[in-house]
Amino acid sequence: MVIALALLVQTTVVLDIRVGGAAPNVMLLLPIAAGVVAGPIEGAGVGFVAGLALDLLTPTPLGMAALVGTLVGFAVGAVSRGIVRELRGLPTLVALGASAVGVMLYAVLGAVLGESQFLHVDLAVVVAVVAIANALLAGPAVRILRWALVSAAERPVGGGSR
Amino acid sequence: MARAIRPRRSRRTLTTLLVLVLLSVTIITLDETGKASFLTSGAKSVASDIYSPLRSGVNGVIDPIGRFFAGALDYGSLEQENQKLRNQIVALEHRQAGDASARRQYDALQRLLATDRLPSVASLSAVVAQVTAQSVSDFAATISVDKGRDQGVTLGDPVVGPGGLVGQVVTATHTTAIVRLLTDGKSQIGVSFGHHEEATLGGTGAGRPLQIQYVPSTAPVSVGELIVTSGLQGGVFPPGIPVAKVTSVHSVVGAADKQISARSLADLYGLSYVEVIQWSGSS
Repeated sequence: MVIALALLVQTTVVLDIRVGGAAPNVMLLLPIAAGVVAGPIEGAGVGFVAGLALDLLTPTPLGMAALVGTLVGFAVGAVSRGIVRELRGLPTLVALGASAVGVMLYAVLGAVLGESQFLHVDLAVVVAVVAIANALLAGPAVRILRWALVSAAERPVGGGSR
Repeated sequence: MARAIRPRRSRRTLTTLLVLVLLSVTIITLDETGKASFLTSGAKSVASDIYSPLRSGVNGVIDPIGRFFAGALDYGSLEQENQKLRNQIVALEHRQAGDASARRQYDALQRLLATDRLPSVASLSAVVAQVTAQSVSDFAATISVDKGRDQGVTLGDPVVGPGGLVGQVVTATHTTAIVRLLTDGKSQIGVSFGHHEEATLGGTGAGRPLQIQYVPSTAPVSVGELIVTSGLQGGVFPPGIPVAKVTSVHSVVGAADKQISARSLADLYGLSYVEVIQWSGSS
């Protein structure tokens, strides 16, 4: 349900917010938040489903966003596992870096697959817009994914529930 | 060498990653090779048909808010375009009467202002469609419209807007369609200009100038020249649709072709309504 709502927000409200022609990508934020909250398996799973949902509505090759979402969600989950999760600002920093990597990975993958239009995009602008927007939305996204993925029974005793 | 026993969770983690990656790669392969295009295209079509009414409903609620902010930044683009065309006509009227090129442009601009529809497509049947969204992906220059196969839209149909050609239908579901704009990197259109000079107009990305390719260095072309569809390229587009205007011409010493940039006549990023031309020559 969270993925469906995020897709609705992405294809309505978010598309009207363009800076330099580029729009934010909240569907890339979902696997990042899932990875931070619940680890690499959940991050990869959310990334796959969110990416595939976005692929179904775009004219770009089916499966590309799913692959990028899977890899980004897994990587974020694996890296976050070794970091103290109560670090303030962690989701923001992770979202900033992972979003930038995710967009660049998507562009490289598209170019490798021969999609010529991927070479005609102002990549710096797209990376900046997506990364900054996701960094700003990381806090609320982590809270939402924590509510969706982590049940009350699994919350650690005395753990910081923020 | 002793091998560390991997914890069970690590094996499950890697297995999950491998399965999802393989699944993604399989889907990409099926889509790109076209071997199961009926599956991948069918899935996109079904998803779009289910999702579009939901998105339309939400857009109906939030659109006034979005338009409030959009209107604060850009008022009456059509009025601005009309004023620009009138100014151009006045400038052309002062040119030498014997200039055949200026006379052709003058006539074309007069026709654009005088009629609601472009003269080159006035005799063709068309479906008027409302633009519902700009491109969902930052890597494709497209628009979504609210008409699909049920309303007569088919894959490959040319799409025109106020001023000229906008693009081509690349996806058509039952109730919606996606139009690839002229500026998209995959867009390639056969065009003509001047005295029957033929060339190809290619997109270089959203918001970037169009590039006219395969123009010999000896071909006469000037800034401000009108570019129209040639009707060649297998008849993908009807001939004579205004497309763009030349904005710069560069000749490199020793190069076989000229480097020519152009700007689309239609405002590709301020569209509210377009016409999808039901062109039997499209494939």
